[in-house]
Amino acid sequence: MVIIGENIHVIAQAISTALRERDAKVIQDLAKAQAEAGAGYIDLNVGPMKKDPEETMQWLVNAVQEATDLPLSIDTLNPVAMEAGLKACKRKPLLNSASGKSLSKEQMLPLAQKYNCDVVISVMTDKGMPPDVESKVDSIMSTVDHANGLGIPNEDIWVDPILLPIGTAGEGQRFTVLNLEFIKILEDVLPGVKSTVGLSNTSNGVPDQLRPPLNRTYLVMLERNRLYSAIADPLDKELMNLTRGGMPEIVELIYKTMDGENIDLSSLSQKEIEYVKTAKVLMGETLYSDAWLES
Amino acid sequence: MEYKAPVEAYTGVVREVTIGKGKKSLKIGGENILPFHFFDQGSNPNPVKFALEVLDMEPQDWPEHLTQPFKDVLTDPVKWAKKCEELGADAVFLRLVSTDPAVKDSSADGAAVMAKKVAEAINIPLIIYGSGDDKKDAEVLPKVAEACDGMNLLIGPVQKENYEIVGRALLEHGHNASALSPLDINLLKELNVKLSKFFPSDRIVIDSLSSALGYGMEYSFSLMERVKQIGVITKDSMTMMPIIANLGAECWKTKQAKETKEQGLLWEGLTALSLLLAGANILVLRHPETLKLIKETIEAR
Repeated sequence: MVIIGENIHVIAQAISTALRERDAKVIQDLAKAQAEAGAGYIDLNVGPMKKDPEETMQWLVNAVQEATDLPLSIDTLNPVAMEAGLKACKRKPLLNSASGKSLSKEQMLPLAQKYNCDVVISVMTDKGMPPDVESKVDSIMSTVDHANGLGIPNEDIWVDPILLPIGTAGEGQRFTVLNLEFIKILEDVLPGVKSTVGLSNTSNGVPDQLRPPLNRTYLVMLERNRLYSAIADPLDKELMNLTRGGMPEIVELIYKTMDGENIDLSSLSQKEIEYVKTAKVLMGETLYSDAWLES
Repeated sequence: MEYKAPVEAYTGVVREVTIGKGKKSLKIGGENILPFHFFDQGSNPNPVKFALEVLDMEPQDWPEHLTQPFKDVLTDPVKWAKKCEELGADAVFLRLVSTDPAVKDSSADGAAVMAKKVAEAINIPLIIYGSGDDKKDAEVLPKVAEACDGMNLLIGPVQKENYEIVGRALLEHGHNASALSPLDINLLKELNVKLSKFFPSDRIVIDSLSSALGYGMEYSFSLMERVKQIGVITKDSMTMMPIIANLGAECWKTKQAKETKEQGLLWEGLTALSLLLAGANILVLRHPETLKLIKETIEAR
């Protein structure tokens, strides 16, 4: 599992200030910490970048490359900033992200071809978010076909099914379930493509202290269905430990829950019980509420 | 080949809740089938019940065709409640609207005295709702619960913001709780989980918010249907409670219901029928003629 470190994110106040004041140290420290924790890529999420997109992105990429040798994921919707970022990268970068929307096909996908980089392509289209597995497959096949036409091979494409928060309008659970299914069949419908997810989106809106269990459990479940990578927090030690084979009993338990095996909770520790309960809500087996660990 | 109709049998059973005591009591819930699925295996031992609404002050914004059936009793909640009993209601729903800080901000003590008088005057069970202002209800509902100690009423709305203080008072004085959450099944379950930690689950009724026809009824319908399905089919303990559809007030707020009597009765009637099909166990109505209309419809007269 390739973890794309999500922590350099403009929504974080410290990062936004550091970008504005060109304070490289704050950003470099965070890049180093993520690299040491086992990240495979460092994501640079700079948002829409209305001011000085080229110069800012260039500065940021260079600052991070001074701190780590890891490849970078350039995460912006601004095509000018995107190009500046890709140009400045020493190693083959990840363009994060393109989609099936017309504007993205015109502005982003050609950049992936031009700079010969890897590219995240989401299932979004001009029609919005495809509501079920079948329409997700249809839309990604059409966008990947378009990308192939531009000369981008499947091997460079990282498909993003788009995760929605589990509490979304009472039907977020339907999406956690169908995204599991989508990831499971992806390699069969598009041989050679990779996959990625914005993992923490699953727990968006959930009380802060309850987010890690959802993120960790879901990652194990997605990994079992052959997920290739995730944009996630590498500083979450338990999360990294789970994906690095450090907690085989927990992983086993999550798999058993996915298989619908009857699990005797009375023989389990508190932590194990929490993983089982969390897997059950992510499977859509029990109705989600913020009190899912308590009931 | 001979055709055999598929018959479903479910494992979930909605908890049966008793409101009131002795002869002045009724039961709701207890079913292990989906609403009106009498062709499946299982039963609903307690057919749907109807309450008529009484306010603790003279209504300010009711159209004349709604006040007309109660015109002599509107200033006296006790008489008004008795009138509802005469008109065939299974229960009286008393709304303490005057306690709302935005209305009269009347005192919790006064509301408690009034609630007790109404409860004692009628021979059918009583449901009492505060104004819905969660802070004021946290003062008013415990006093009401204390004044009506041991009467086993249904009292609400118990909300996320005040469930601890209101829930404990209801428990101490022997009442049922009506747990209200804003049209979201995840929040609904969360409230039931939290309340159930100290309050018996078999004394909780779900109020999932009942919007009127044309004003979001389809959301209420889908949610209620889902609550019932998750309870009966997937046996989720925290949604296996009977449901109250508090729809009268929502319907009579609408411009359409206020315009003419026929339109008002149909507005309230169609909303009621729809929510009944979605799985409501007790419905709160305002107009006695709607009550008659719905009863006739269900009994296929």
